[in-house]
Amino acid sequence: MTELSIQGLYKRYGAVEVLTDINLNVRSGEFTVFVGPSGCGKSTLLRMVCGLDEVSAGTLAIDGEIVNDVPPSKRGIAMVFQTYALYPHMTVAENMGYALKLAGEDKGLIAERVRRAAEILKIESYLDRKPRQLSGGQRQRVAIGRAIVREPKIFLFDEPLSNLDAALRVDMRMEFARLKERLGTTMIYVTHDQVEAMTLADKIVVMSEGRIEQVGSPLDLYRAPENRFVAGFIGSPKMNFMPVTGQGDGRLQVPGGTIDIPAEIDASRVVEVGIRPEHMQIGLADENTLRGNVMTAEHLGSDTFAYVEIEGLERPVMVRLDGEHTIQTGDPVDVGFATRSVHLFDSDGLALRRQKVSNAA
Amino acid sequence: MLDLSTTTAKVVFIGIALLIGFFLFFPVYWTLASSLKADAELYQITPTPWPKAPTLDHYRTALTEGQLPKLLGNSLLVSISSATFNATLATYAGYSFAKYRYFGRKPVMMFMLSAQMFPFGLLLITIYPMFVEWNLLDTRLGLILSYIVFALPVATYMIYSYFSQVPNELIEAARADGASDLRIFHTIVLPISIPPIVTVFLYSFMWSWNDLLYSLTLIVSDEKRTVAPGLLLTYLNETNADWGGAMAASLMAATPVVLGFMFLQRFFIQGVTAGAVK
Repeated sequence: MTELSIQGLYKRYGAVEVLTDINLNVRSGEFTVFVGPSGCGKSTLLRMVCGLDEVSAGTLAIDGEIVNDVPPSKRGIAMVFQTYALYPHMTVAENMGYALKLAGEDKGLIAERVRRAAEILKIESYLDRKPRQLSGGQRQRVAIGRAIVREPKIFLFDEPLSNLDAALRVDMRMEFARLKERLGTTMIYVTHDQVEAMTLADKIVVMSEGRIEQVGSPLDLYRAPENRFVAGFIGSPKMNFMPVTGQGDGRLQVPGGTIDIPAEIDASRVVEVGIRPEHMQIGLADENTLRGNVMTAEHLGSDTFAYVEIEGLERPVMVRLDGEHTIQTGDPVDVGFATRSVHLFDSDGLALRRQKVSNAA
Repeated sequence: MLDLSTTTAKVVFIGIALLIGFFLFFPVYWTLASSLKADAELYQITPTPWPKAPTLDHYRTALTEGQLPKLLGNSLLVSISSATFNATLATYAGYSFAKYRYFGRKPVMMFMLSAQMFPFGLLLITIYPMFVEWNLLDTRLGLILSYIVFALPVATYMIYSYFSQVPNELIEAARADGASDLRIFHTIVLPISIPPIVTVFLYSFMWSWNDLLYSLTLIVSDEKRTVAPGLLLTYLNETNADWGGAMAASLMAATPVVLGFMFLQRFFIQGVTAGAVK
């Protein structure tokens, strides 16, 4: 049973605070993803778990034991780096066995563990090659193999897919999902790509500017973001945001129309509303309607993205339609959406919730 | 715009290249030609452009009668030792400057580089009394140590630039794998740093091998004399001007460096330009 527990963790470089009051528990066997824009501190947090960066304040405990001052190799963790960091002068097998060799393990055991890891990752045929003779995807596997060989209690992955091209990234993403099933080990994965986070994670930790914004399962974050940042970050294409211009009769005025809101919410506190592109439609009557003109439409085959210009809004509202939808630029349209799919935010950017989720969507 | 593809441009460029080539290689050619001329031809009022009757006499004399083999041996010993010493110091110092953060790191490096700003002759004036005091005058060890001033600052800087390009993740990966700092340096960083280390070794070797001023001043006994002052004192002193012998001996003295560069130039070029292009 491996648990990671982070309490009141801070990281400062001189006067600059990079991480502020991080509190987080990662349960045994859980695949946790730290996600956030560049510079949000997610990699720093991972490096601190690894032991490569010192803790400025707070505690980091693995299985109940505080490891703040324990060197990386004694923490029972293994890290896969963004650039893979393979030792260029060693063969694949030597790369994978290096940690065990340093630990003074017996040669037979090293060979056996390297062989087993190679088998899991299907890299048996290039154990004798040097890293420079491998493609990006193969190097990535070797880097993962190097971690597997150590049989760590926790795997740490620092943006492992960001150096791969798009097609390979999808393949490797599936590979990670398979690995997670097969090994069942606790894994912590850092990425700035919310699609990776959504597809891989049991638990997502959304970070911004050195703080944790929200922790939850992918669908929890998608359905009930706690604040405007999470609402905008999770989900692709991004949520549409609109300022509230006034209210009355339980309805909010926004550019282009009005929005009905649940009675239990104090309308005067709502300063901004958010609606996901996939929860809007064009031309069909719904509980709420906004008026606008189609500025442009992107036909992707599977989907059609319509950008609807609404008077009083800086950015056009994006509506995700099915791929068969034909739409003309310049057409005046009605954009409809249900009240339950509207996200409401107060002046601090915090989400205003209904008492209970009205519809189990 | 200057069009570089026209015939005129080509002619001009080739002409300039040939001119520079002539300036660089004429002395080498003249040394070679003179070394092959017999004394009678060498001392004519009007020099002959090439040897009329080439002879290897000067080489034979230099190798058998002169002290050339001993001088070369001394130079080799001193140059290899000082190059090894310099390359070792530069490698450790460069790594420390590149990969560790500590108080005074930058000032120390600037201070070291500033040694390069002083004329070597000036530094010799301060080294001399120090060596007298420490009984290092007229010792090979003294000469080897004195060569630090030529090569170490630049060598350290060269290797520092290289190490700065070594990705930190590589070092961190090894640390996470459980390697100590020294182990990381010796088993991960050094094996991938052969080209720059060979470069600073060669750089340092070249300085020691070609040095005249320091070796002439710091070594006084004949049996420890290195090749540059040796040639000067043997062939071109107050009483003697054996140009043919001097040319033949010079060529033979230059040969090890030239051969070394020919074999190792791949390393050298790689080392000098390492990190220039990502």
